[in-house]
Amino acid sequence: MKRLLIIIGKIIVKVLRLMHRNAGNLPGIILWHLSRHKAVSMFKVDCPIIAVTGTNGKTSVTNCIAQLFERSGKKIIINKEGNNLDTGICSLLLRHCDMSGKVKADYLILETDESHVPVVYSQLKLDTLVVLNFFRDQLDRNGEMETLIQKINGFCKTFEGNLILNGDDPNTARLGRANPKNKNVKYFHAEPYAFATQKIFEASEGRFCPFCGEALEYDYYQYSHIGKFICKKCGFGNYEPYITAKDIDLDKPVFTADGHTYSPKLNSIYNVYNMTAVAAAAKLYGIDQKVTDGVINSYTVKNGRMENFMLGDRKATLNLAKNPVGANMTLRVMNEMQGEKELLFVLNDNVADGLDVSWIYDINFSIFERVTRVVTSGTRAYDIAVRIKTAGYDPAKIVVRPDLDEAVEELARTEGRKFVIANYTAVQPTRSALKRYITKHGGNK
Amino acid sequence: MKTIKILHMYADMLDLYGDSGNMEVLQFRCKKRGIDCQVDKYSIDSEMPDFSSYDLVYIGGGADLEQQHISEDLLKCRDGIIKAYKNGTFLFLICGGYQLMGKYYRDADGNDIKGLGLFDYFTVAPNSRRKRCIGNIVIETKITGKPVKVVGFENHGGQTQGIKTPFGKVLFGNGNCSKSEAEGYCEKNVIATYLHGPCLSKNPELSDYMIEYCVNRGESEHIALEPIDDTLEKECRQVMLDRLLKK
Repeated sequence: MKRLLIIIGKIIVKVLRLMHRNAGNLPGIILWHLSRHKAVSMFKVDCPIIAVTGTNGKTSVTNCIAQLFERSGKKIIINKEGNNLDTGICSLLLRHCDMSGKVKADYLILETDESHVPVVYSQLKLDTLVVLNFFRDQLDRNGEMETLIQKINGFCKTFEGNLILNGDDPNTARLGRANPKNKNVKYFHAEPYAFATQKIFEASEGRFCPFCGEALEYDYYQYSHIGKFICKKCGFGNYEPYITAKDIDLDKPVFTADGHTYSPKLNSIYNVYNMTAVAAAAKLYGIDQKVTDGVINSYTVKNGRMENFMLGDRKATLNLAKNPVGANMTLRVMNEMQGEKELLFVLNDNVADGLDVSWIYDINFSIFERVTRVVTSGTRAYDIAVRIKTAGYDPAKIVVRPDLDEAVEELARTEGRKFVIANYTAVQPTRSALKRYITKHGGNK
Repeated sequence: MKTIKILHMYADMLDLYGDSGNMEVLQFRCKKRGIDCQVDKYSIDSEMPDFSSYDLVYIGGGADLEQQHISEDLLKCRDGIIKAYKNGTFLFLICGGYQLMGKYYRDADGNDIKGLGLFDYFTVAPNSRRKRCIGNIVIETKITGKPVKVVGFENHGGQTQGIKTPFGKVLFGNGNCSKSEAEGYCEKNVIATYLHGPCLSKNPELSDYMIEYCVNRGESEHIALEPIDDTLEKECRQVMLDRLLKK
C-alpha cells in the first residue's frame, strides 16, 4: 500500500512538472487524503531530522542551519519554499525518495508550522527540535496560543531527542519541563542589549508562570515578553544556558557567543536570537567554527524582510510584519535611526493574514519619533490610519491611498528616508509596486 | 467639567484581540474635547477598589486559560460590582467579560466556570474547539436612541443564551449564537458584546454614547458633547459597511 502511494505521488509530481506547475503542496494534499491523513508515514528516513518551529524567524533559522551542513559538505534536504505543513513536507519528500519511499540524505532540515509539529513527528523520527518563540499570530486561524503550546507540549512529553529552546521566552522554555526524563534539553539565552527595558513595552502573552500561576518577574525585557524571567515561587526560568549571546552591539553589529565574536549583517535583536539558535545547533552537531562564522556573518534576508530599495535617490526599507511583535520591531528600528522619516503601512485582511485586524491595536505607535508623514494602503488602509490617529498622531499628516501604486507614488513624492511595513499578503504586492515605481521613475533595488 | 473615571479590569490578562484599544479610543475622544479621563487598572491581587466611584468599568476578552484564572478573583468583586451597577456605573464588557457577568460559562469539556450572575444569560461552548463564530460582523443597535450600525469582528466559541434585551440585531455575521439574529446584551448603562476590532475604533457614536453617559452621571443639568473630526473613522466604517452589506 505504501509503495503504491509513493508511486501515485511521484506520478502527480511528474505530471505537475510537465504542466510547468510548482509541485509544492498539491501532491501532499492528495496523498494526505489517500493515506488517511498520515501523509508522511510512508517515507523511510534514516538520517537525522532537524525541525525548526516558532512564530517568528523559522525561515531564517532553517536556512542557516541547512547552510551549516551544506558548507560542511553534507547532502541535505530542506523545504526552501516554506511549505511547512505535513502536506508540504510530504511533497518535498516525494521529490527526494526512491520508489520504496527511502529518502537519501545526510540531514533533513525542516521548517515546520507550529501546529504541525506533533502531526509530522509522530510519523517521522525527529533528532532535534528547535523552538524559537511563540507570539500572537493570526489568532483567528490558529486558535488561541495556549492551545498551540499545549499541542507541542504534548509532543514533547514523550520526545527524547534534542530540544533547543529559547530560554528567554517563557512560552518556549516551559517545553523543557514536558519530559523530565529528557536529558537533551538545551536553552539559548541573550544578555540585555542597549534597548532592553525594565518594563514591558508591548502587549504580550505569558505573563504568568505556566506551572504555578505566579506572575513572572523579569530582570529585563529585550522585546515583547522576551527577556530574562524567573518565577520566584517555583523557580521556573532557573536553568543553565547551553549558549549565551553577550556583548551585543547592534550599531556595529556584533555579538559574542561561547567566547566567539560574530559580525552578522542584520542589526536587530531578533536576528541575534535567531543566530544564537543557529550557533546552538552548530555546537550540538560539532560544526567547524569557520563554517559557523561563515553562515552567521553572511546571512541576510530578501523577500520583504528588512529589504532595501532606492526610489530614485530615496532609500526605503521594507519589512514584513505579520503580527504586533514584527511591527513593533520595525518601529523600534525606525526610532533608533537618526533623522526624519516617513512610513508607508500596508494592511491587508485576506484569509492568509487572518481576517481580524484588531492586532494593530497591540502595535505601540505612541513611540513614533521624527516621523513626518504616514501613508496607509491595502484592503484595510483606513483601519491602520484610524489606529495611528488614535495613538495621538496628527491626522493631518496621514494620507490614505488604498491603491498600492498610488501609495508608493505618494510616499516617494517627498524627499528623505522611507520605511515600509506590510503584513503577510501585502508584502509581495508591495515589493512589486516598489519595483514598478523604480522601473518608471528610476532608482534600484 | 468633572473628570471621567474608568476602571479597566484585568487589562494584563484579558487583552487577546486588541481590546485595550477601546480604552485608547475613549481617552483619545475625551482628550480632543478637553475632558479629563482617568483610567485606573485592576487585576488579580490589586487592592479592592470602590467600584461605585467609577463612571465606567471595562472588561475585555481573553483566552480560556486566563478566563479561568480571573473568574475566582472576579467573584470576590461581586458585591462591589453589583452595587456600582445599581449606582449607575456603566459596564462595558467584551467577549470574556460579557460571558463572566452571566450565570455560568460551560467550557468544551463540560466544566462550569461560575459567572457573577449579575445578568440571567449563560454561555455554553460547543464540544468541538473548532466550531467558533469567527469573522466580520455588523449589527444595528438602538442604545443611543436611534438605529446605529456597529462594525466589529467576532471570535468566540461560546454560545450565549437567555437574553431578553440584546445589544443589537445582526445584519452580517453570527451574534450570540452561530447564525443568530441577536448580538450581545444591553441596558441603559450596560453594553456587553462579542465585538472586537477593537469595538469602539470604527464606531464613534457608540464611544460618544458612553462618554456622554459618564460625563452626565450624577450631574443635574445635561451636558452635550462637542462634535470632533471623525472623517477617517467614517470612511473606515463605510468601506466595511459597503463590503459586508452591499451584496
